[in-house]
Amino acid sequence: MGANISQLERDIGSDQFPPNEHYFGLVNFGNTCYSNSVLQALYFCKPFREKVLEYKARNKRTKETLLTCLADLFYSIATQKKKVGSIAPKKFIARLRKEKEEFDNYMQQDAHEFLNFLINHINEIILAERHQNNAKPKTGNGDPQTQQEPTWVHEIFQGILTSETRCLNCETVSSKDEDFFDLQVDVDQNTSITHCLKCFSNTETLCSDNKFKCDHCSSYQEAQKRMRVKKLPMILALHLKRFKYMEQYNRHIKVSHRVVFPLELRLFNTSDDAVNPDRLYDLVAVVIHCGSGPNRGHYISIVKSHGFWLLFDDDMVDKIDASTIEDFYGLTSDIQKSSETGYILFYQSRDCVQ
Amino acid sequence: MATHKSSGQSGRKKVQVSFVIRDEVERRHRAGVNSLQYDAHLQRLYSAGRDSIIRIWNCKNMKEPYIQSMEHHTDWVNDIVLCCGGKNLISASSDTTVKVWNAHKGFCMSTLRTHKDYVKALAYARDREQVASAGLDRAIFLWDVNTLTALTASNNTVTTSSLNGNKDSIYSLAMNPPGTAIVSGSTEKVLRVWDPRSCTKLMKLKGHADNVKALVLNRDGTQCLSGSSDGTIKLWSLGQQRCISTIRVHDEGVWALLATENFSHVISGGRDRKIVMTDLRNTERYTLICEESAPVLKMAMTPDQGSLWVATSDSSIRNWVLPKRDCQISGDAGEEEVLKPLNVKPELTIKGGPAVRHYQILNDKRHILTKDTENNIVVYDVLKASKLEDLGPADFEEEVKKRFKMVYVPNWFNVDLKTGMLTIHLGQDENDCFSAWVSAREAGLAPNDIVDQKVNYGNLLLQALLEHWWRPLQVDEDAECQGDQQAAGQTRGGNEYFSVPGHTPVIFSEVGGRTLYRLLVRDAGGETEGLLLNETVPPWVVDIVVEKNLPKFIKIPFYLLPHATSGVKSLKKDRLIANDFIQVRKVAEHVYEKVLGAGSESGSVAGPSSPGADRPDPDRQETSSIAEDRVELLCNDQVLDSNMDLRTVRHFIWKSSADLTLHYRPLK
Repeated sequence: MGANISQLERDIGSDQFPPNEHYFGLVNFGNTCYSNSVLQALYFCKPFREKVLEYKARNKRTKETLLTCLADLFYSIATQKKKVGSIAPKKFIARLRKEKEEFDNYMQQDAHEFLNFLINHINEIILAERHQNNAKPKTGNGDPQTQQEPTWVHEIFQGILTSETRCLNCETVSSKDEDFFDLQVDVDQNTSITHCLKCFSNTETLCSDNKFKCDHCSSYQEAQKRMRVKKLPMILALHLKRFKYMEQYNRHIKVSHRVVFPLELRLFNTSDDAVNPDRLYDLVAVVIHCGSGPNRGHYISIVKSHGFWLLFDDDMVDKIDASTIEDFYGLTSDIQKSSETGYILFYQSRDCVQ
Repeated sequence: MATHKSSGQSGRKKVQVSFVIRDEVERRHRAGVNSLQYDAHLQRLYSAGRDSIIRIWNCKNMKEPYIQSMEHHTDWVNDIVLCCGGKNLISASSDTTVKVWNAHKGFCMSTLRTHKDYVKALAYARDREQVASAGLDRAIFLWDVNTLTALTASNNTVTTSSLNGNKDSIYSLAMNPPGTAIVSGSTEKVLRVWDPRSCTKLMKLKGHADNVKALVLNRDGTQCLSGSSDGTIKLWSLGQQRCISTIRVHDEGVWALLATENFSHVISGGRDRKIVMTDLRNTERYTLICEESAPVLKMAMTPDQGSLWVATSDSSIRNWVLPKRDCQISGDAGEEEVLKPLNVKPELTIKGGPAVRHYQILNDKRHILTKDTENNIVVYDVLKASKLEDLGPADFEEEVKKRFKMVYVPNWFNVDLKTGMLTIHLGQDENDCFSAWVSAREAGLAPNDIVDQKVNYGNLLLQALLEHWWRPLQVDEDAECQGDQQAAGQTRGGNEYFSVPGHTPVIFSEVGGRTLYRLLVRDAGGETEGLLLNETVPPWVVDIVVEKNLPKFIKIPFYLLPHATSGVKSLKKDRLIANDFIQVRKVAEHVYEKVLGAGSESGSVAGPSSPGADRPDPDRQETSSIAEDRVELLCNDQVLDSNMDLRTVRHFIWKSSADLTLHYRPLK
């Protein structure tokens, strides 16, 4: 084996190579890079990987779901004899195409849509299985409660946003909480993620035809509304809204604006009653879109593993220097059509590192 | 056929018809009072209500102070100013209009429709008889009062000056008596100052951290006071373009300000319900005049500066005694003692009425139960636009439960409580006002012994609301009316069952927007009113009221299958369509005649789709009673009462958005 030691192993150095870690590329089945890039990013979100492998260990013979396929895939990467190589996520892709019509073709898909679908779908599978298991011994006893109990998907990705609305007439503030699995932020030229998050929580005035129906005033009044984070998730997934619908072109155009994403992040748009406003996050993975538009181009991902950065481009894996991350911030000018830009950022809370 | 003149409605938003169910004379405010004006000569108080009514009160007769109501607005009246020495009143409303009134007689002289959103504030320059209006459309318009009062139906164009530059919704406005300066306050948090004579911008004053909701200018326009949602009052020098002092005497937003004539003291009120008087020469010296029962919206001082009329978001208006200016009572803010109010009880009270705050539409979609701010429960009949029963203070939920009926009728109106009175909107939105067809007999409109007629609630109500509208038909000279009943080329409205109270206000407005026209039911017969109605009534209403076209029936698709226990084999799954008010009895009849072959045909013909009125079929009674004895129908394994209609079955028993499925079972 020593003879065909790969370039990657050489780059890392065999003595430096982390034990029990595998870096495997994923074969592309015709425009499935949207899936490959997200799967790699998720694999290197350690809490997620561990839970998926745990699921694999607990559920020996169940009927095939997208979750069992994902668990098999993660398990097969984690148990490879070789440290590096590539693997074909054939079963997973086949299952995905069965589960959702939109993915049942060979077209380029939106990586964020895929991530969103995957997380929600996995969560539903877990809930459905829990429901089944509970239904067996006692019929429906205490069911609603167990349904409300968070799943491990919730524990990892779910945060809570609180939207506060203040009626400008009576000045009563009403607030409403909603769960999220990721935050979707608008991108502005030459800014940073912190700026994007600040804009996300900017005050919006509900006025003219969009007034607020104030219960207190029994009528439509102007109101100010803002969204802030009340509960910070363990893994914060940030989706940069880089595909913007342009009416004049009647299609989505890629916004390649340069948005700096730091290796360390703290949220400032937290609500006054936030549970854990001081969480410090580390960047662990980035899904990168390369190309000029949503329906063309390519997805790759960069991940942090044991202190160094790796680039996954379908079946290829390379070690990269941390300084090259800057290359994925975006472009300062709008002249170039094509760009390689961070699209989904995965930040992991430092306090959850085991 | 009558062709009606197109009334120029293309491009406009959809028009809805609304009406208010209320007493003929509403002597008390039914919701908060937004503004006050005091007429010193006549000792009258004018109050602008959220119930859309401006009321005039006689302060010389506090036992029976009500003089009259000024009604023409259709939404909150936000501000009023008395001008021309008390002869005229100008009002600003959330119905987006500004109205000019004869204050002594209380009638509306003209309506200005220049604003595009709620008009929130007015300002008045007494020496020049100039009024400014501003609101949520960010615009300020300047009006010459003498021009406004001279407006007639034929000479109704006004030229206004507008002040531009505002970036946000305007919530407050002030002008000094000589009309040399005007200030606006907005959600932009800055004060903007103009010279109204030249309409030139003078300055912007920054300093507040939130919306500016109250403004006062001194006589020569050199100083300004502002009250903000940030809880502070600021005194500004316009000459130096800066804030001279910031007064912090309130715990929450400051919404109302009043300055003494010589600008020596400011009286302030707001969300914290407190009314405080502060010495402007030494802002450490302040007095708590009183604590109101609700947030303070407006204050007016009596001419002797001895007392204060206060309007709040509650419907009562109270008068509080002011301290003599030379004897400052409290004021050492340094001492941490709790400030005791100067007055515990108001000197005078003009009692307000309760506002309707909650409602529940009963299942028959005709009766509404409401609960007001004093917990009184009232039952209304929407169809007849009238109050049925006062239940007094009672348990709302309990009373609703008591009236539960297992019937389902589609929604056909929307309820609005913004004025504290019950307003009903009839439109063609998701609640199409023509969606409710019911049996006239069951609705108690027709006696039991005649052939049952299906009636449409929205149809009947619109006809009743426009009963007095005599609409001249636009008929060509030669295309003579086919020589029949429509004498004199006019058609008469109304319906054959009932009328609505003549005092009911009817409002035509753009959906979620501007009011086009308001009138009382009984006034629709007038010549001017008739002409305006011709211009305003939307085609979909004309179609019903004038053309007498019937609305469409609402159809329900359903499947009819033999029940598993019936022993009947069916090869086909028939998808039938019937009117939603068809009773189970009719379906049984169909099964008996067509499916089980008691009748002549084979049984695969389309289902029961009868016209609006049940046919006066002599055999019908007999057939249906036989059918009832021979066939029973089930839905979700529940045997159906033959009097139940299909929509009720779908709503209460089927409970699914999928097509209704009924099963039949022959009885021995």
